[in-house]
Amino acid sequence: MSRPLEGIRVVDLTVVWSGPGATALLGDLGAEVIRLEANNRTSRQVSATVTRESMRAVGYHGGTYPDRDPEPRPYDRTALFAWHARNKLSACCNLETPEGHQAALDLLAISDVLVENNSNGTLEKLGLGHERLLELNPRLIVARMPPMGMSGPMSSYLGYGPNFNALVGIAAMDGYEGETPDTAGENYHMDEAAPAGLAFAVLAALWDRERTGVGGLVEFPQAENVMAEVGEFVLDYQMNRRNPPILGNSDPHLLQDVFESAEPDRWVAVSVRHDADWAALTEVAGRPDWAPLGADADGRRRHSAALRARIADWVRRHPADRVVELLQAAGVPAGEVMTEDRLLADPHLAARGWFVERSHPAVGTHRFPGQPFRADGFETVFGRPLPGFGEDNDYVYRELLGYPEERYRDLRERGLVTDEQLA
Amino acid sequence: MSRPETSAAGVPGRPDGAGEERPQVFDGVRVIDLSRWVAGEYATKLFGDFGADVIKVEKPGEGSLTRRWGPFPNDVPHPERSALFLHLNTNKRSIAIDLHDPAGVALLLDLVGTADAVVESFRPGHLERLGLGPEVLLARNPRLVLTRISAFGQTGPYRDREATGIVLQAMGGPMHATGAAGRAPLRKPGLLEHYTIGRAAGYATLAGLFHARRTGRGSVVDVSGQEVLLSGADRRASYLMSTAFSGWIPPRGVRSVHRSGNLFTGPFRARDGYVMVYVTTREFWNRLVNLVGAGDDEFLARYLDRQSLGADWEHFTRYVSDWFAARSKIEIMERGEAARIPLTALLDVSELLEHPHYRGRNLFVRGTHPQAGSLEYVGPPWRMAGGFRLRRTAPLLDEHGAEIRAELAAAPTAGDAPQPTAADEGSTR
Repeated sequence: MSRPLEGIRVVDLTVVWSGPGATALLGDLGAEVIRLEANNRTSRQVSATVTRESMRAVGYHGGTYPDRDPEPRPYDRTALFAWHARNKLSACCNLETPEGHQAALDLLAISDVLVENNSNGTLEKLGLGHERLLELNPRLIVARMPPMGMSGPMSSYLGYGPNFNALVGIAAMDGYEGETPDTAGENYHMDEAAPAGLAFAVLAALWDRERTGVGGLVEFPQAENVMAEVGEFVLDYQMNRRNPPILGNSDPHLLQDVFESAEPDRWVAVSVRHDADWAALTEVAGRPDWAPLGADADGRRRHSAALRARIADWVRRHPADRVVELLQAAGVPAGEVMTEDRLLADPHLAARGWFVERSHPAVGTHRFPGQPFRADGFETVFGRPLPGFGEDNDYVYRELLGYPEERYRDLRERGLVTDEQLA
Repeated sequence: MSRPETSAAGVPGRPDGAGEERPQVFDGVRVIDLSRWVAGEYATKLFGDFGADVIKVEKPGEGSLTRRWGPFPNDVPHPERSALFLHLNTNKRSIAIDLHDPAGVALLLDLVGTADAVVESFRPGHLERLGLGPEVLLARNPRLVLTRISAFGQTGPYRDREATGIVLQAMGGPMHATGAAGRAPLRKPGLLEHYTIGRAAGYATLAGLFHARRTGRGSVVDVSGQEVLLSGADRRASYLMSTAFSGWIPPRGVRSVHRSGNLFTGPFRARDGYVMVYVTTREFWNRLVNLVGAGDDEFLARYLDRQSLGADWEHFTRYVSDWFAARSKIEIMERGEAARIPLTALLDVSELLEHPHYRGRNLFVRGTHPQAGSLEYVGPPWRMAGGFRLRRTAPLLDEHGAEIRAELAAAPTAGDAPQPTAADEGSTR
């Protein structure tokens, strides 16, 4: 068995969520993903200056660090990095210095893919715009992820995931049933949608390169990528001149909601899809007298609130596991709203080996979240769980770039290539 | 600086930007879509929209479940006018095949012999019961990629559990942390989770195709919807990582806590709608204070550089809310943008369709469907040479049945996948 992207080298200039999530998916397929990280910037979402003391001062709980301890190298120890860092390599490279600029060009000349999610114009300012890079290496695929695209009146708008959820129609339909839009502060769906889309786009460009021999630009406007997910509402508006309402946990086709069990803050999601589900639910609940009210789709729609109140009343009397077990045994869709600790202990995920135990000196031994799919017939990779900052400097500068010893030593002595992040 | 010989040298090149005439990326690729719901249909749409020949195999007389979902014009159900089906099945052909009939199974196997990938989303075990399990399909076509989408995967104790979108969000997504503190967990709206799963299935399928192109060997891909969501960048994977690291469990309603100090986030009511504020740094904070407090020296002195609002939380929030409430959402967004504050308007779907940004980028593409008429569809998710094109609107049920049967009858021998050849192997680098 072999890996689909064996021999493909990806230069990773991404930060925060969507970009790093995308390059993780390329690494899973066997690509060599090299993060070029500056030692004078935060490339891993946390500052090098975070200490136990500084966390206490601002009241931060520290839950993103192993044992809630950021020291000694917070940038190697944060979950904000470790969730996506599997298989990746890290080389120190300050792009705004002439030496760093040259090293990046040298690496890009022998690479297949560049992925970046900086704001529009950042690479151009660094002299690394895609036109220049494609001249340097015509087989290179340059994937750029500006949220609103590289052109158009809103292309430079500032924002985070929730801001762009707002600009694609998702935030306006997000909230509790019948209330004003809310929750969007915790809905990061644009970030969710980008990684697999970008990975697909890069694979498509690699596929095309097999035929054409050339790479090229992939413009990946994250907002437009996620807008496909409201595509049916875009058509509905044209058909019926209406915008999607705020439905909360409800759904026009299903009788559904989340219900708190007998255990505090343990909730079960339940859906009734059709008449048979409703009949099964009333039987499980021991309440055949409820059956007529929800016997057909129209009844379930009209009496939705009343029926859900009854389900809530039943669920409240049982432990969450019991509710799920009873309903699933009767063929009714039900599942607990899972907290992270329960997922880590979940027998199904354990049986499928979804979490992957790995060790790294920076964090110790832990179970890492797994990958989105598995294959029989080709190999996927979950190797080193994360790179310490600059951990692969030697490999990248000496082996890949072939820098002579004195040139590399010079970069190190001048602090241009370090094993530590300073910012 | 050196360029290795394995790079561009010796590869027959094609001039970049060859324009509309060049073939689409997946020209020559054939994908069989056995799915009946959003994830599978979105996975195969990605291939069709970028040039593949996607053949949708549908249940005779009934077709895909998305044909019955709607929304429909005037809310009158009609299998050829469901917005969800029309959206998800652009650039596909449809053939009705009864897979419970041996002749149907034989026909499907003939099709599989000509295909590069099959995407299915039946309940685990169903394909096997039809006599179309992975061994059968790969025996027919050893280069085939078979992608199997399910709620909880093809193995494990929950394999046969029933699920809907909200159940998947509950079991896989970050739903325990979404919603307000002290209230019920809140799902994401629409059918977003299904699209997420479909996109991942598309990526996994293409990984398999790439592997088959290089090695000539097929594969079976197991996509568990739950696992796709668990690995998500919407914070779920990072939450899991945090808990593994420290035992910390992300609480619900973090957003409300964030309305303090330099963290001030969430939606606010404008005169004509809502805006989304996402102030996360001292810089943004000061810009916001300066924007809403312009000319109010007392306000500026009180709030510039504040690290924490403490007892002033209510005063500050009311002041900001009043400022927003007096202005239109677009004015607020434009002024926020001018001041470089992450502050955007909540656009309705109707406003997307009219927005000069998206219109100027030609994001929406018009197509005419014999039953649904002329409509604008959401177009390219990304742009690349040989990329997205709307070649045809969604197929009528069995619209291409006769055509596809005729193609199969004319084909030399089923059993060998067409293109590419072993010569492709190893040519990538």
